[in-house]
Amino acid sequence: MSSSIGAGAVLPAPTRDTARANPAHRRAGWRPLQGLWAWPFPLAVLLLWHLSSVWGWAPEQVLPPPAQVFRTFADLAASGELWDNLHISLVRVFTGFGIGLLVGLSLGVAMGLSPTVRAYLFPLFKAFSQVPVIGWLPLLMLLVGIDEALKFLLIAKATLVPVTLNTCHGIQGVPNRFIEVARVYGFTRWQMLTRVVFPAATAPIWNGVRYGLTHAWLALVVVELLASSEGIGFLIVYGRQLFQLDVVLAAVLAVGIVGFVIDKLLSLSEAWLLRWRKPGL
Amino acid sequence: MSSEKTFVPPALRGWVLPALIVLVWWWAVASGWSTSPLLVSPGAVWDRAVQQVVSGELWTALSASLWRNARGVVIGVSAGLALGVLLGWSRWAERLVGPSFHTLKQISLFAWIPMLSMWFGLGDGAKVAFIAMAAFFPVVLNTFEGLRSVPRDYVEVGRVCGFGVWQLLTRVVAPSAAPSVFTGIQLALIYSWLATLGGEYLMASGQGIGNSLIDGREHFWMDLVLFGVVVIGLVGYALNAALEALERRLLAWRERTVARF
Amino acid sequence: MHPRHRLGLLALAITLSTVGPLRAQTPEPLKVIRIGVATGGVGSNPIRHGGTTTALAYTDGAFEEEFRKDGIEIKWTFFKGAGPAVNEALVNKQLDFAWQGDLPAIVARANGVKTKLIAGSGVRTGLYLAVQPDSGIQKLEDLKGKRVAVFKGTNLHLAAVAALSARGIKERDLKLINLDLASGRTALVNKDVDAIFDYVGAFDLRDKGLAKVAWSAAADNYKFTRQTHLLVTDDFAAQHPQAVQRIVTTLVKVAHRYSNEAHRADLFERWGKTEYPEKIWREDFIGQPLRVRLSPLLDAFLVSRYKEAAKDAYALKLTRSLPEIDSWFDRRYLNVALKELKLEGYWPAYGTDGQLAH
Repeated sequence: MSSSIGAGAVLPAPTRDTARANPAHRRAGWRPLQGLWAWPFPLAVLLLWHLSSVWGWAPEQVLPPPAQVFRTFADLAASGELWDNLHISLVRVFTGFGIGLLVGLSLGVAMGLSPTVRAYLFPLFKAFSQVPVIGWLPLLMLLVGIDEALKFLLIAKATLVPVTLNTCHGIQGVPNRFIEVARVYGFTRWQMLTRVVFPAATAPIWNGVRYGLTHAWLALVVVELLASSEGIGFLIVYGRQLFQLDVVLAAVLAVGIVGFVIDKLLSLSEAWLLRWRKPGL
Repeated sequence: MSSEKTFVPPALRGWVLPALIVLVWWWAVASGWSTSPLLVSPGAVWDRAVQQVVSGELWTALSASLWRNARGVVIGVSAGLALGVLLGWSRWAERLVGPSFHTLKQISLFAWIPMLSMWFGLGDGAKVAFIAMAAFFPVVLNTFEGLRSVPRDYVEVGRVCGFGVWQLLTRVVAPSAAPSVFTGIQLALIYSWLATLGGEYLMASGQGIGNSLIDGREHFWMDLVLFGVVVIGLVGYALNAALEALERRLLAWRERTVARF
Repeated sequence: MHPRHRLGLLALAITLSTVGPLRAQTPEPLKVIRIGVATGGVGSNPIRHGGTTTALAYTDGAFEEEFRKDGIEIKWTFFKGAGPAVNEALVNKQLDFAWQGDLPAIVARANGVKTKLIAGSGVRTGLYLAVQPDSGIQKLEDLKGKRVAVFKGTNLHLAAVAALSARGIKERDLKLINLDLASGRTALVNKDVDAIFDYVGAFDLRDKGLAKVAWSAAADNYKFTRQTHLLVTDDFAAQHPQAVQRIVTTLVKVAHRYSNEAHRADLFERWGKTEYPEKIWREDFIGQPLRVRLSPLLDAFLVSRYKEAAKDAYALKLTRSLPEIDSWFDRRYLNVALKELKLEGYWPAYGTDGQLAH
């Protein structure tokens, strides 16, 4: 059970009382100040970075001054280059993710609901998932070349594994007593599926989707680093080849921002999807 | 469950598909249906496997990768545990460092490579740093979550029983957080193996199983590539299995509930 | 904050601010000389590499022999990432010498990496365009709108783009995909790209029936050939000038031995044991006397090629500034070596137009 990637990891944060009392939170008026605490640390790091370039602790090629990185970022944004590359990468990632999601959900549901299917497919699937996305790269490069197909396949594979595993385990993990109660009420198969099984499994399935997207973005960056002529990963490679680390850092900043936005969107969707769940499970 | 005719004994069912695939593969090559120079026969892969094992090349490459992986994991997991405990235990730390950490973890792992390459130059340093990073993030997250989710009731009972801080930690907090921490370490192992391979692709030449894969691709040696894939899968499986066994022993006292998520 | 804490922070700040600038410049006794080579070579234990005088020095163990009596070890590192990867190591002060192409070295110089060019090692190196065997591409102009693989950041990149722009083809007229040489060749064979700018590997593909060679720089114009050199870091040169001299002298000896046409067969036989078979190396050298290709001179031709490369790189936005080139060449070691070995005038010096200087 614990082999499912991400299945045990981030619990959807329940708002139960934890061991650390938080009296400060109860004092109204402190709340607006909470956000401020996030800043001192990054600002200190930024200062250290700036000072290190002023005092020359690290050669300029290795650590360009933050001002230059921001300027490059602004330049890239202004010239449209950043958005063009980002756009291509996002299209790739979402297409691959879509494919992987579809296949993953189908496989997961099939294996979750039917023990026969699981018996035939699961061992092969498990073996398949042991090789990380990276391991498949040279093989796929030989088989399908370096075109878009490679990217879609790899991103789909990266998405597929956590989605399938979590879906399968989620469905399997629906407590027996739910099913029994449903039987007592005389639910038909369809009603059982839609009213009991899937809602109960939504949390782990969603977890799988979340991990799937993270892995998809990861796979995209890797593939673009190795074989691409455009995209945000390509921008990173280009900067590296031409010794322009500020371009690299600006692109990494963009990658981080996108990652952050995706994560935020996902948690918002999760909060909406699971709004019926009461905390304190 | 159902009264199906079982002409395939349940124990063997898992093997049906793989066997079919190998069969189709062998037939495609043997019958000449596939003329691509890239599709080698299963026999060729086997030959290559034997050659690699006998010549010791497999062991050199694999041990180099695993040693790098080990170093990175040890560094990453220890640093991760330290930061995770800090963030989970100290509210101040969480407020100050937490948001920055959550932002940094959004940056896709491989985007760090050019910088690490630039900062460490050639040699294993860059690769070990990368692997450590890969291991670091899941450990911090899960340790933090584990510590945060220790139910208050347990701590109160502990206090009522007159536990000191050390006893609280070892008898209440640690066991409660342990499953989450273990999940974090498991994820760390998965990601670090991923990072080991990725680092070998993207950073300066060296020895390793990833490098063997790259060599195979460069020279169009499909058999080497396929063999490499199998080896990588086996290693991943072994790491996973080892950790699961460890977890079973250490957390044997926990009863399993049906839904474990 | 507690006054003690404030004092502590102040002390920390002061310490941190002084640690940086304080770095001892005392020369340590030399124990190891680190040489970086901007190519992956082939094989392992030992890696095999051919094509230039530096490669010959490597295969013959010339440097090792020279420094054996002093107990100084020579450490060679081969970089699959070519020039750009060498730059990363240079920046991290992990190399003393490097064999590298013109573009990556210019990029490094434009970024403030302090090195000196001390000898030519592989001048007028070829550049070839390999296309699919059944391709209709016959000249560079046919590349418009096609997908072409080129290893960006290397001197292949610059020479290719220079050749293209000489025919009025801009980068946006075609799709230049960044792939290292091995990936690029795979891509060509897989029909993922229509062409690749390559070195002698192009002939290897052709001989395997996987590609045909549509264009050659040497046949076109010497301006599109690539130059490679041996450089030394300023730090190392300042601390161990005698070692630098010995390296250059040894290199000149090696160049002299193999520039002799009588040794032509021997030369190619040696190189035949490295990345590619003998026949392919020969083909790259057809019509070119060994003395020209293996010349270590830092003559006016080389200087002008590097200046033009720097200008091209700047114009193509591959570098952000135009580094000064003349002072980059340090001829002292070479001159001493030539004098000592009485080889002045052995190698022809070429002028800026590619013709003999006298």
